[in-house]
Order: sequence, then structure tokens, then C-alpha cells
Amino acid sequence: MELRVIEKTDEELRMEIAGEDHTFMNVLKGALLETEGVAAATYDMNPEQSGGQVDPILSVKTEGGMDPLDAVAAASSRIRDTTADLRDAYSAAI
Amino acid sequence: MAEEFDVEFIERGDRSARFLVRGLTPAFANGIRRAMIADVPTLSIDTVRFIENTSVMFDEMIALRLGLIPLTTPLDDFEVGETVTLALDVEGPATAYSGDIQSSVPEVQPADENVPIIELKQGQRLEFEADAVLDSGKTHAKHQGGVAVGYRHLQRVEVVGDAGEFEEQEPNILRGVIETEDGELVNADEFGNDLTQRYPGKEVEVHDVPGAFVFHVETDGSFSVDELVLRAIESLDLRAAELEEKVRV
Amino acid sequence: MSYKCSRCKRDVELDEYGGVRCPYCGHRVLLKERSRDIKEVKVE
Repeated sequence: MELRVIEKTDEELRMEIAGEDHTFMNVLKGALLETEGVAAATYDMNPEQSGGQVDPILSVKTEGGMDPLDAVAAASSRIRDTTADLRDAYSAAI
Repeated sequence: MAEEFDVEFIERGDRSARFLVRGLTPAFANGIRRAMIADVPTLSIDTVRFIENTSVMFDEMIALRLGLIPLTTPLDDFEVGETVTLALDVEGPATAYSGDIQSSVPEVQPADENVPIIELKQGQRLEFEADAVLDSGKTHAKHQGGVAVGYRHLQRVEVVGDAGEFEEQEPNILRGVIETEDGELVNADEFGNDLTQRYPGKEVEVHDVPGAFVFHVETDGSFSVDELVLRAIESLDLRAAELEEKVRV
Repeated sequence: MSYKCSRCKRDVELDEYGGVRCPYCGHRVLLKERSRDIKEVKVE
């Protein structure tokens, strides 16, 4: 996973996440949308049908003074909580 | 976030299982499904050195068949890219089976012993040495550990009244798993996938239960269902951890 | 280059002067044998 920030302001972020696909990006997008202070979040696997661009680009828009990079961090930690809970729930059912 | 997950098994075997997870978002359910198919790595033959092949098939065709033989994969002992050496020597008249493959690592064996590789006639011989490599289904389908992985919504069936007394009842076909009004989980094939078999003469309504996903997971024998599911969850976790760490600096 | 005569089944070595012909029985059909080298194949 390699990150490349394309555009960053106080409330907006566009970032390439190299080496990932729908598997993780959709989970991340879902978690971002559940995160407080996030106004919009999406990702594009093939931006503008551009030739050669195959790595997904994550776009995040925030509100209420939330830094978009912090929002991504918060969403990641949210995913980690979910995976931990899910692992415990599955292990308990075995 | 206080998300409460609840996992319940409907069918449970070593290589195949059906289980219900409550409290999941669709994004997460799909993430786990995709991770099980493409991201949990398995060992598979990648390079074959033919010492003798006097069978009726080309080396390349036999190599392709060998790649598709599932090998038991102890994921704790290997990193992606690591290899295991295997060998086979069969002389005709006989059929070379996956079970004839000898392994240099006792934990790594063909998951099934009865996969035919090729039939050898009198005087034909197949001898080779092969390297199996650990890699994910993303690089090649032969590395897929989960072969039939999918999910459906749990469906809640409610009896809302009686069917018209003199009406001919049409079959009401349904697949997947239903939840009855008493909270019982029933696989639809137990009543022939026909709700009128289970509720004769009744009018029923079927609704998807939000956030409740019934997974059906089948592995190729490389590892158990439990291993596959837990590794898929772990793979999402590792990526989230990596992203979190990289974003915080 | 090593070949095998398809009639008398003997191993035949060809050189550039003799033409394609078995020196033992004169047969003109020779079969090329598989090399004894180990052949490495990538599974793709």
C-alpha cells in the first residue's frame, strides 16, 4: 500500500492508494461515511477512463473543522475495531 | 462504535460451512467475501522441472494440471513467495494421481489424493520435481483458497393469514436460509425450496433482514473454513492498520 | 544431433555429409528423440 496525496486542503483530500482494489476501498469508503465530520467520501478505480491509471483514488470531503487525513485515520481505526469484533464473534461461534 | 456481531452456524464442516452474521454492513460483507477469494494465499505448484515425460501429453499441459492441485497450506509457517519442493515418479501402466506426489515438507501435502494427473500406458513414465509457491488468488486463480464463497440476505418469513380455501396453491420458491417466527434458522433446501411445503395453506410474507448475511464458504482443501474466514478478516485488518499508520505520520 | 531410425530403431548420428539416411539399414525416415536435459516449465 503506497499513498500519494494529489490534492489536500483543510476540508478536502484526493489521494491515490496504490495496490488496493474494491475489496478494501469499499470497506474504507463505508467506514468513512460512518465517521463523524465526513461530508462525502468516495473512490474511483479508473478515474476518467484514464489510460494507465489503475490504482484507486480516494476522495474525502469533511465538515466542522475535521482534517480529512484524520478522518481517514479514524475510519481505519473503525475498520480495525470491526475486524476485531468480528473475529471474536466468529471465534466464539466455533 | 458498539457494533454487536452475532455469528451462528447453520452447517459446519471442515471444508464447507454456512453461517449467519448479524450486524454487518454490506461493504464489510463484500470485503470479507472478496478477501476470502483473492487475498488469502495458498500454496500451488508454480515451476516444474521435467526429468522424464514419455506420456501422451506435453510438459506444459501436465504443468497446468499440476498447478490446479490443491495443497494443504499451513499459513503460519510460510510467507508469500516462499516455496516447497515436491516430486513425482510414476511408471506405466498406471495412472499418476495427486497422492503420488512426494513433499519435502510433511505439513504440505496434496489436499486430495485422488486427483488424476495422467494415465500412463506400458513404457510411459512421468518424473518431475516441482516448486510450489505461496501466493494469493489475485495473481493466479490456482492460488484461490475459497472456491465457492458467497452470501445472501437472511430472509424472515412471517405467516400473515390463510390462503384462500379453494385456491390452487402455487409453489413459492425461495433459496437461501429463512428465519421463522420462532427465530429458528432453516435452510430452504430442507423443505424443497418451496415455502408452501413448509407452510401449507398459509399466506406468507418474506422480508430481507437488514445487516444479516448468510455466508456459504467452501475451501479447496488448502485449509479449513475457519482458517479462511479468520485470515480474510485479518487481511482487512492488516490493511486498515497499515493505512492508519501511514496517514498518522 | 541424435535421431532414431524408424525401421531398425537404432540410434543414428547425422553429420552434414551423409544426408538424411540411416547408415545401418538405409532407411530415410528418422525420428528425433526428446533431449535428456531437464526441462523447466512455468505454470501459467
